[in-house]
Order: sequence, then structure tokens, then C-alpha cells
Amino acid sequence: MRWATKLRLRLRSLLQGGRVEAELDEELRFHLDRLTEEHVAAGQAPADARRAALREMGGLDQRKEECRDARGLALFDELRQDVSYALRGLRKSPGFATVAMLSLALGIGANTTIFTFVNAVLLRPLPYPGSDRLVVLRERPPGAEGTVSVHPLNFLEWRARARSFEALALVQAPPLNVIGADGAEQIARVQATSELFRVFGVGPARGRVFTPEETRPGSHDVVILGYGFWQRWFGGDPAVVGRRLAVREGALTIIGVAPPGLRIGLMEPDAYTPLPIDPAKPASIGSRSFQCYGRLKPGVSLDAARAEMAVVASALARQYPMDEGYGVFVSGLHEYLVREGRPALRLLMAVVATVLVIACVNLAGLLTARGIRRRGELAVRASLGASRGRLVRQLIIESLVLSSLGGAAGLVLAYWGTLALVTLTAGALNVGSIEPIRLESTCLVFTLVISTVTALVFGLLPAWQASRVEPQMALGERTRGGTADRQQHRMRSALVVTEVAMAVVLLVGAGLLLRTFSRLVRVDLGFQPAETITMGLFLGARPPEARVSLVDQILERVEALPGVKAASTIQFLPLTGMNCGTGFWLEGQPRGDASHASTTECSLVSRGYFAAMGIPILEGRTFDRRDRMGGPRVVIVNQSFARRYFPGGRALGRRILVAWSDEVLAEIVGVAGDVRHNGLTSEPAPTVFLLHAQTPGYITTLVVRTAGDASARAAAVRQAIHDVDPTQAVSAAKTMEQYVGDLLTRPRMYAALVAFFALIAVILAAVGIYGLIAYVVTQRTHEIGIRLALGASRRDVFRATFGQGARLTFIGLVLGVVAAWGLRGVVATFLFGVTPGDPLTYVFAAAVFAAVALAAAAIPAHRASRVDPTTALRYE
Amino acid sequence: MSKPTDLVQGTLDLLILRVIALEPMHGWAVAQRIRQMSNDELRVGQGSLYPALHRLEQQGWIEAEWGESENNRRAKFYSLTRAGRKALEKESAQWERLSAAISLVVRRA
Repeated sequence: MRWATKLRLRLRSLLQGGRVEAELDEELRFHLDRLTEEHVAAGQAPADARRAALREMGGLDQRKEECRDARGLALFDELRQDVSYALRGLRKSPGFATVAMLSLALGIGANTTIFTFVNAVLLRPLPYPGSDRLVVLRERPPGAEGTVSVHPLNFLEWRARARSFEALALVQAPPLNVIGADGAEQIARVQATSELFRVFGVGPARGRVFTPEETRPGSHDVVILGYGFWQRWFGGDPAVVGRRLAVREGALTIIGVAPPGLRIGLMEPDAYTPLPIDPAKPASIGSRSFQCYGRLKPGVSLDAARAEMAVVASALARQYPMDEGYGVFVSGLHEYLVREGRPALRLLMAVVATVLVIACVNLAGLLTARGIRRRGELAVRASLGASRGRLVRQLIIESLVLSSLGGAAGLVLAYWGTLALVTLTAGALNVGSIEPIRLESTCLVFTLVISTVTALVFGLLPAWQASRVEPQMALGERTRGGTADRQQHRMRSALVVTEVAMAVVLLVGAGLLLRTFSRLVRVDLGFQPAETITMGLFLGARPPEARVSLVDQILERVEALPGVKAASTIQFLPLTGMNCGTGFWLEGQPRGDASHASTTECSLVSRGYFAAMGIPILEGRTFDRRDRMGGPRVVIVNQSFARRYFPGGRALGRRILVAWSDEVLAEIVGVAGDVRHNGLTSEPAPTVFLLHAQTPGYITTLVVRTAGDASARAAAVRQAIHDVDPTQAVSAAKTMEQYVGDLLTRPRMYAALVAFFALIAVILAAVGIYGLIAYVVTQRTHEIGIRLALGASRRDVFRATFGQGARLTFIGLVLGVVAAWGLRGVVATFLFGVTPGDPLTYVFAAAVFAAVALAAAAIPAHRASRVDPTTALRYE
Repeated sequence: MSKPTDLVQGTLDLLILRVIALEPMHGWAVAQRIRQMSNDELRVGQGSLYPALHRLEQQGWIEAEWGESENNRRAKFYSLTRAGRKALEKESAQWERLSAAISLVVRRA
């Protein structure tokens, strides 16, 4: 194996260079000695013999050089020389080295930090086998944008008809009340059909999974524990299978433990229970409120599955009136989970890439100047025989060394940056797996690639230009103002203008995001989030009367607590991203026919809700104690509903039939103010408020308005609930302000990050302007001296130099504003309350940048005006 | 794998390989043997021997080992590898063909 031997030899020469050299020396000396001996034997004197032998061999060093060349390692040696030369050169110009490495460290560090997030959120696949075949299915309602949850009937049909999937599972996540040593606790629980674990391709860590039998109607008191819950609640007991988990309704038998790291959607469940579907009456467990996950068969593409499901959907639409107009939405699971984070990460990557480009442009300018200064030295090398390619290679190696050092520093910055950013975002970016976001080997590779690319980008052009030297330059003659110089100056000016434009674009973007954030903070939600505390109450499978009376008793107790102004419940809190919809008919419309119902959003609330949330009642009254089960049905609608369905007229007193409320005619007794239920920026939708006392639900959230600090009352409220029913579990308490704060995390993060990077970009661009003008001043010191000596005033000099900087700034500003205008569509999705073309922001950004840039240009201009003519003229 | 060499260099390689094929020897001995076998006609230039040896070693046709020479001094002994032996056969055959062809032309003329 020749190449193995050759490789070994080369490695040896590389790593044991010293020994190889010594051997070469010894070998040639041996030959020299024998040659000398021969001459002596022929009769010469020893000294003459040696001299003659040396002459014949032609000099040991030349022969050694030839041998070294024959070993084919010249390239390596030269590279090693270049690298050490580059390092020496950097050490000799510490100022240049610091500025260059700092710019690179900032640029590369920023890019690596953002890439760490991109890698963790977008690129890293879900940690399940064959995760690219995991899909999520949802229903697409007719006419509306977006998707809704799945109906169990449709799930059964899909499971029966679709051929594209290896397995399909239906999932819902109502909490579970468990009873432990310290009392009742509410835990996160997933109800699923038996195929769930097959869909995710994982097996249990202990025990077994559900059988298909267990997802048929019947009593199946079994549970699979989540891995984390098993550790926490049972201490990781290896004999946990077969033990019982005490819940409010009795006890469940533990049949297994889920593997660690299994997440259904974005949540890691504490427990899994079977979801029994009656094939004869699937709607008995609920309507469109389930999640469906599936695994594609091997070889079936996502598009093929989509096409098949479209056919299935139209067949179902013909068969079932409730499916009329509905389509099926199929998406890769990972893509679906990260759909919110993706545009933002893309934007951030673009921003940091721009910062890096600006840093590179600066470096290119610095290197060009440096190249001109080193002309003499390069000319000497050229006259000693270095080819142009060799010179270019040397300069490129210098760029690579610089960018490697900058890249290493950037990695350190990125490490800290990632830690800081993870704390800042704290879960605002959805990550599919539990693994933390940190620097991994992929990020290291990314840094390496970026460092190399930047070195080539900013190093190549200056290297090419600098290597264009003529040997006579080595004679020390200062070539001043030649055509080549002017060309380089023009190029540098063009580069500075470009980086100014880029910095302005970033600044405009930052301004828009900052204004968006300030708008979001002040948005009118329709309710008062201050001084309210909330807790989740899962009422469980009690009969309806029991649920009504439980809530009544709890509300009585809590209202009586000191410091409580109002208490109530609602099924799904605003700003938690969940809501229900229902069908309804206006009085007089043909009822009972599901295909002719209008749909509306609905909220299930108890009495006192509007007072507790601070929602104004615009007409009529709120729910009170008179409204009971068995009494006349009452509902309250919001203003949007009243306007839409009773335009111009009075909604009060009219009656509607709500599908969810047992389809009994209910009277509208009040009109409430609109609330932004689905998010800070969501438009209020027409909503019907149903009364819990008449239509009890299972899931509720207690809302308590307090006088003063809300979280201080949490313990008292919890105690009150415990007094009413010790087995009723309560979830962790959270104030409405915290919910609002959660929704503000993302916009705050975008605004802060982009502003931060824009600031760096502005500083870098200002440094670029400063560098260029300062360089011009240094080159033209002689000329300025002449001008001053000939009578020009210092002010004239200042104005001329400053004018150059101002001109570049102005051109860059105009270009930047135009570019920002052209790119305004890019940032439009992130904005709220401010248009992408908002003139105030543009003006402000331009003004800020102009101030910084003109200051940067003024410093060297001032220096120019202080030039002492005599000193300037003295030196050539 | 071998770089295009001019006729002289190729011939030197052939001579070295041929000589080393007989027994392992150090550079000095190679030069002496070539001189001897050619009846003193061919004297290897002192400058070209060692670069050629190192190049052949780099190509994997000969391998080196340090040993003791006739006068009890350390010397680097080269021997033929299996690849080298095959190369030698090929080069020899080529040389035979080439020299026969040249002779034909020269004699004819």
C-alpha cells in the first residue's frame, strides 16, 4: 500500500522534522567522508581532499535543499513560515490587531450565538427514531384561515380510510388530580389512544403501553407514568409497575413508565391515561377539541399523504354534514412546532449576517491601508524571487490567521452570549426536545466555516491589490497619488458607503421593532390584568350538580376572604391561547340542523367574572345568583357579537340557541366590552358567555381580583379551596400580569436583540468612516501642510476633510433609507401598531446615524486642521 | 503517480533501482556500484544522487533503514520494496524497447 507508506513518511517529516533533518545531515556527511577518503587514497592531502570533495558535491546545503524538495513538503514548510510571519506581524501592530480581532470577534460571535439557537430550534431533529416521518393532523374549517382541532369521528374515519400512515393517535390533555401525602395536586396528563407510543417510535422505560382493548369504552383504570413524574412522585422506584396512583375518583393501576424525553407536542406529560372512543358514538367524548399525531409509512412522502387526505376529506364532507367544507391539514411535526419561531430566527440570522459583513468591510479597508504601508516590504520579497501567487498566498494566510484568532475570540463571546440569551428568552422560543440550547459541535463547525469564508472575503481583494508591486518600490521612493492609489481610494469609499447603508437598514428595523414593543406594552386588552390571580381547577368526572355546587361553594369562601374584591371562574383564560367555539342559531332559525348553524367563540364563566376581570358591562346586567340550573337560560354576549348579529338593533332581550348549552333558547341579558382573548394583537371575535351554573364544564380557572398585591393572597385562596374540598387539586397560581408578560417576552427579545446588533453595526460603520478619513489625512499630511503654508485657513482644511466624510455619510444614508424602504415587507410580520414605512422611525434612525457618523468624521478632520505646516513639509 | 521526468532523470532512477535490487546498500555504495557495473562509463553526479534516492523513497519504491556500514559507521541503507520491484521490471522493459528503437534509427541512418 504505497499511499500508506507515503503518508507515513510525510507525517514523519512533519512531526519529527528535527530528526529527519539530522538524518539527512548524517547521510550526506557519510557520503562526503567516503568521497574524501577516496581522494586521500588517490594521494591528496586530507585538507585538499575534503575541499575537493565538497566542491564535487556542490555544497551540502544545496543538496539538502534538493532532498527536501524531493520529499515534496515544500508547501507545508512555506505555510508554516507564513503563519509564524503573520503572527509576528500582528504582534508588531497591536492597534490594528486589536481593532481587527475585536470586530471579527463581535461579528463571528454574534453569528455563532444566533446559529446556536437556529440549530437547537430549527435544525436539530426531534429525538425520536425516524422523526422526519412524524406528522400532525388538524382540520381546516371552510373559509377561515388557520386550523382547528380534530373531531373524534373524523379521527376514526381517517384511521379506517387512510393508507399513508403507519399509525395515528388521538390525544387530549386535561389535567389530572392526584392525591399525595401532602394533599391534592394537579398534574399534566395526556389522554391518548393506544397507538401513541407507536407513533413516536418509542417503547416504555418500564412495563407496557396501552392495548387497543383499553381504548374501547369500558372501565380501564390504568395509567402510564411520565418519566420525570415517576422520579419525582415515586422516587424512581424500580418496582413501580403494579402499584396504584391515588386520584380523586379512586386509584389507577400503574402499568408502565414512559421513556425520558418524550414530549407530546411541547409538553412533557406527568401521566398518560387511555382515551376510550366508542366507535358507535365518537362525539360522546367531545367535538373538535383533540390533537392528532401520526407516523408516515416508510416511503410515503408528506405530499402524497396530503393528497390522500384531501381525497378522504372530500369523501367525509359528502358523508357527514358537520364536515361540509372542512379540509385536512397535514404537517411535519417538527415544522409545526417551530412555525412561530422560524421567521424570527431567520430575521435574526439576516441581522447578524449583516453585522458580520459590515465588520468584514471594515477589515478589508484596514487591510488595504496596511497593504499600501507594507509595499516596500512586499517589493523586497518580490525582488528576491517570490511570485505574485506566493505573495497573495502569504497575505491570504495572514487573513486566515486573523480570522482564526477572531473566530476563537468569537466562540468565547458566543458561549457567554448563548447563556445570556437563553436566560433572556426563557422558553419563548419553542424547542421540540428538552435538551438545553448550548454550543454543540455543529456550532463549532459553523464558526470554522464562517471564519474561513470571512477571511477569504475580506482578505482576497486587498491581497490581490497589495501584491501588485514593482521591485523598484523597494528602493523606498514614496509613490504618492498614483492611479492605483486613487482606484483603491474609490473602492474603499464605495465600501464605506455600503456599510453605512447596511447600518442604516438595521437601525430602521430596530426602531420599528422598538416602537412595536412599546405599542404592545400599552395595548388595551379589554380587561384589567393588574391585581388578579388565577389558578387552574380541574373538576373531574363529577355529575353536573356537584360541579355547579363545588364552584358555588368555592366562590362563596373566596369572596369572603379579606382583600378579595371579586372571584369567579372561566374555562379558558384570555391570553392562554385556548378558546372554544360552538354553533348557535338565532331565534327563529331552523334549529337542530348542524349544517346551518353559525359559529361563534364562547367562554364558560361563573357569576362575577366581569367584575373579577375588570371587563365593563355596556348594556344590561351581569350574571348573578338568580341564574341557576333549571331557571331561564341566560347568556351574555360581547359587543362584537351584538354588532355582527344584531346590527343597529338591541341585542338585549333577544334569544339565541347555543349548541353547547343543550340547545335551549337563552336570553341575552347583557352586552360586555370586547376582550382580546387570543393574544395581545388579536382582534376581538364575537363571543357568547355561558354561565357555569347552567352549563357546567370540567376545566375551570379561578380568577380572583384582589386589593393590592395579588400573589400574596394565593395561599389564602388555596386554603379556602382546601376547606371546601380537600381532594380538589389546584394548579400553580399565576397572575394575569404574568400571562401578559409571557406574551411580551418575544417582542421584547426581538426589539432588544435587533437594537443591540444595530448599535454594533452603527459603531462599526462609524469606525469605518473614521478609519477612511483618518487614513486620507495621514496620506495627505504633506499636501495639507502645503495648503496651510500657502495661506489656507484651518477652518478651510477642516471643512474640506469633514466634507469628504459628510458626503460619504449622506450618500450612505440615502442608499440605506431606500434599501430599508425596499425591504420593509420583510419585517412587516413582526410589527404591531406601526407600519413598515413609518416615516418617523426612518427620520429618527437617519438622524441618529448621521450624528454618530459626522462625529466620527469630525475627529480626523479636526486633526487635519491642526497639522503643523513646518513638520508636514519637512518629511517626505 | 510519477511526475513527468525528463529522460536523464528517468534513467538515473532505473539505474538506482537496478543496483539496489541486487542487495540493500547506502548511497555511496550505489554510486560506486553503478560506476563499476558500467565499466567506469557512468559516474553519477554527486548532486543528483541523493535527491533521486529521496524521491524514490517518497514514491514508495525503495525503503530506508539505518545500519552499520563496512567501516563500522552508521549509514542509511536502501532496499527495494515490492512496488519498487514491479516498477523496476516495467522501467527495464520500457528501456529495452526504447533503446532498441533508437538503435534501429541510428544504425539505419
